[in-house]
Amino acid sequence: MSELNNSNRPAPSAPRPYRFPDFTRHSLDNGLTVWLVPVAGSSLTSVHLLIDAGAAAEDESHGGVASLTARLLVTGTRRLDAAAFAAATERLGIEVNSESSWDSSRAGFQSLPQHLDAGMALLAEMVQLPRFDPDEFSRLKAERLAAILQMRADAGSLADESFIKHLYDAGTPYRRLAGGTPEMVETLVVDDVRAHHATHHRPGRAHLVIAGAFDGEKALRFAEQHLGGWSGSGPGHRTITPAAAGGRRVVIVDRPGSVQSELRIGLVGINRYDPRYFSAAIMSTYLGGSFGSRINRRLREELGYTYGARCGFDPRRAAGPFSAAAAVQTEVSAPAIAELLVLLETAGAAPPASDELRQAQDYQIGVFPLRFETTGGIAAAIEPIATYDLADDYWQTYRDRLEAVDAAGAQQAAAELIRPTELLVVAVGDASIIRADIEALGVGPVEVVPAP
Amino acid sequence: MVAFRRLPTRAPYPRILTAVPHIPIERHTLPNGLRVILSPDRRTPIVGVNLWYDVGSKHERPGKTGFAHLFEHMMFQGTANVAKGEHFSLVQAAGGTLNASTWMDRTNYFETVPSHQLELALWLEADRLANLLPAMTQEKLDNQREVVKNERRQSVDNQPYGTWDEKIQELLYPVAHPYHHSTIGSMDDLTAASLDDVGEFFATYYAPDNAVLSVVGDFEPAGALAMIERHFGPIPANPKRPPVPDTAIEPLIGAEIREVVSDRVPLPRVYAAYRIPVFGTDAFDALEVAVDLLGSGRASRLYGRLVRERQLAQDVTVMAFPIVGGAAIFSLWATARPGIDHESLTEAVLGEVDLLTDEGPSDVELERVQNLHAAGIESGQERISERADRLSMYACLFDQPERANSEVARYEAVDATRVRSVMAASLRADNRVLLTYLPVEGDQPGTEEAA
Repeated sequence: MSELNNSNRPAPSAPRPYRFPDFTRHSLDNGLTVWLVPVAGSSLTSVHLLIDAGAAAEDESHGGVASLTARLLVTGTRRLDAAAFAAATERLGIEVNSESSWDSSRAGFQSLPQHLDAGMALLAEMVQLPRFDPDEFSRLKAERLAAILQMRADAGSLADESFIKHLYDAGTPYRRLAGGTPEMVETLVVDDVRAHHATHHRPGRAHLVIAGAFDGEKALRFAEQHLGGWSGSGPGHRTITPAAAGGRRVVIVDRPGSVQSELRIGLVGINRYDPRYFSAAIMSTYLGGSFGSRINRRLREELGYTYGARCGFDPRRAAGPFSAAAAVQTEVSAPAIAELLVLLETAGAAPPASDELRQAQDYQIGVFPLRFETTGGIAAAIEPIATYDLADDYWQTYRDRLEAVDAAGAQQAAAELIRPTELLVVAVGDASIIRADIEALGVGPVEVVPAP
Repeated sequence: MVAFRRLPTRAPYPRILTAVPHIPIERHTLPNGLRVILSPDRRTPIVGVNLWYDVGSKHERPGKTGFAHLFEHMMFQGTANVAKGEHFSLVQAAGGTLNASTWMDRTNYFETVPSHQLELALWLEADRLANLLPAMTQEKLDNQREVVKNERRQSVDNQPYGTWDEKIQELLYPVAHPYHHSTIGSMDDLTAASLDDVGEFFATYYAPDNAVLSVVGDFEPAGALAMIERHFGPIPANPKRPPVPDTAIEPLIGAEIREVVSDRVPLPRVYAAYRIPVFGTDAFDALEVAVDLLGSGRASRLYGRLVRERQLAQDVTVMAFPIVGGAAIFSLWATARPGIDHESLTEAVLGEVDLLTDEGPSDVELERVQNLHAAGIESGQERISERADRLSMYACLFDQPERANSEVARYEAVDATRVRSVMAASLRADNRVLLTYLPVEGDQPGTEEAA
């Protein structure tokens, strides 16, 4: 590179302050917590109903029931069948969504303010008086099974699924998708969904978040009127104690004919309450969470092995996975694994350079307001506060905590959290081409398994 | 700042009181031809910068497919003033997000940054328009060529059904038509791209008089305009740009084209695609309404009949590509549920298209899609990046940025008669490409483009 002329680069002007919108919370007699987040200037309203009825709340013998319950909710109420419910909501310009993750089930919608009342009434009817029609259950179950087939045909999705399957031991539910394995979904019957709903979809530990444009008093009255009669409290989530299945090793998932290998390298990460949460966030930003991060710079911008490479944590109530990921040209699979391993293994060996630490902090601190540009983004921001019982000033102090991460803390997070002897390497690709080169790397034992 | 427009209530169905915000628009043109759109919104301290260059894959010459997109990558490789990789790191360290994309008609570049970093974003865009070539090297080109080849492998060749849009373009447009080839291009042409090509392409198309710059968000217009004049003003226009490629084409194909592809997919999928009137016409607006009637939401015709009632399809998707030359594309696809053969699915999908053409939408159906559309526009406009992109789009393609404020009105002006007439004119058997993906037997590689 020739020498650069930096003299004409514009300096930033004085920053304008940004503050996450103030919110209030209110407890109804039935235990439901209502969060009101008025947003000045907004012309939309987002409503999210969060229930502690996610995959962590389901019995492992009924894996996938939480997800199927969430999906089946939108197929109508006792009063309105699936077609009528879709027509009633969409006529208002509302598309009700309902889904389930490990830590919660979430139903919600976004609407123009004048349809908030009608939308909330339909949402309340949906969660309290669901139809759970057996035919709709059979349809959604078959669709879910077919969707898993489709996902497994996609090399990237297959790599994600294979990585967690081989990462966690047999006693850790996180080793499978939150939506369940095909074998689990296959055994489910509509009564399982009814039972999951009756047990877990209760207001006791539920949260209703309303963000955007609305009249606070009216919204609260409305919540009382439509959800006040809902009763009970579910048992909530189980305690999950994640454990790894084994140490450092390689699993090749054979996908003949692949022109790329989908790589995942990582180990069991952190939970959402980990005191290293912020130092881990900053560390993973300079390691593989931005364009100029070490991993993307090396594998994409220097070597051209991939369209993009990244790494990151997935903290949940219990420790979710940490992984680095890249889709690389088949021929360079082994060198790409070697490069990723070096970057991961050396992450904790030295403190970050002062400019890469500064850039990671500036990036995370600077993009903060961008996350809250939409009412949906603001409503979603309440979810971790509600789900993980974080302090109400969480977002007001969020940037201070990013700023407080220092080089020693970031290095320590890397050293403690990216342990070389535990790294699992998963490669989804053509084993006949990539196997010998990967074995020659001497990373650890290499196992080749067929694609499911 | 935000004006609300109320629409009249129309019995018997409840009518959304559409409150789509009016986007303020201030237009300027610099002496070098750069069109500038300013749209202030001071609610959140962030600002979006968005540039559309009037160059896309339709401008590529034979043997150079994929070059417009490869060139877009080169725009991030540094200049006389910015090191390789630094464009990204400067914006990200400023607390911003950024990217770029290339399509048939255009290439866009965009950043969203905290508002006090507006000048950095403007300077970076102006700098690479003025100073790209002195820093260009063979090493950078070789690197990004490999990156783009891996982008193609990831999104097309190693992806189930990944070749569908490339094949639709090949079948819908005749050989040598500017839309006949895909934007990602062929591996051979990417291999052949040279440093001379980079220089020539840049000199030809990357000039201020071939671009639109939109700035949306938290800024003061006079100050922003002064910055724009300071950084973009000195960049010379290119008065010798070649004529726009001829995209003229027969409005109808003339005969149905069928193709079957064996791919590594678990379920058959059926694609239908049609030549339709171009983006910007009343007919295209009406076909967008047809898209939503058929495929948007759980109360749409294809979802309701094929996915829910008859359970023939796993999923359905309908879309109209906003293309401005010759003919645009209306496409839809349905994935078969396990055990459903592709012929039955094809017949059912086409039957629904024909039924809607014959009977037209009911008032209830029109009401539904109008309300979904209005809410969707509102939702999209919450993001300043989306507002900036639409202003640039309408300015670049039609020289009418104010069209960004009439999307809902244009949509709601479409009635059942217009839907029927445009569907009858375009969505017909002799104007149709039917592309069917079938699972290969056994564990063989899928069909992949010659690489």
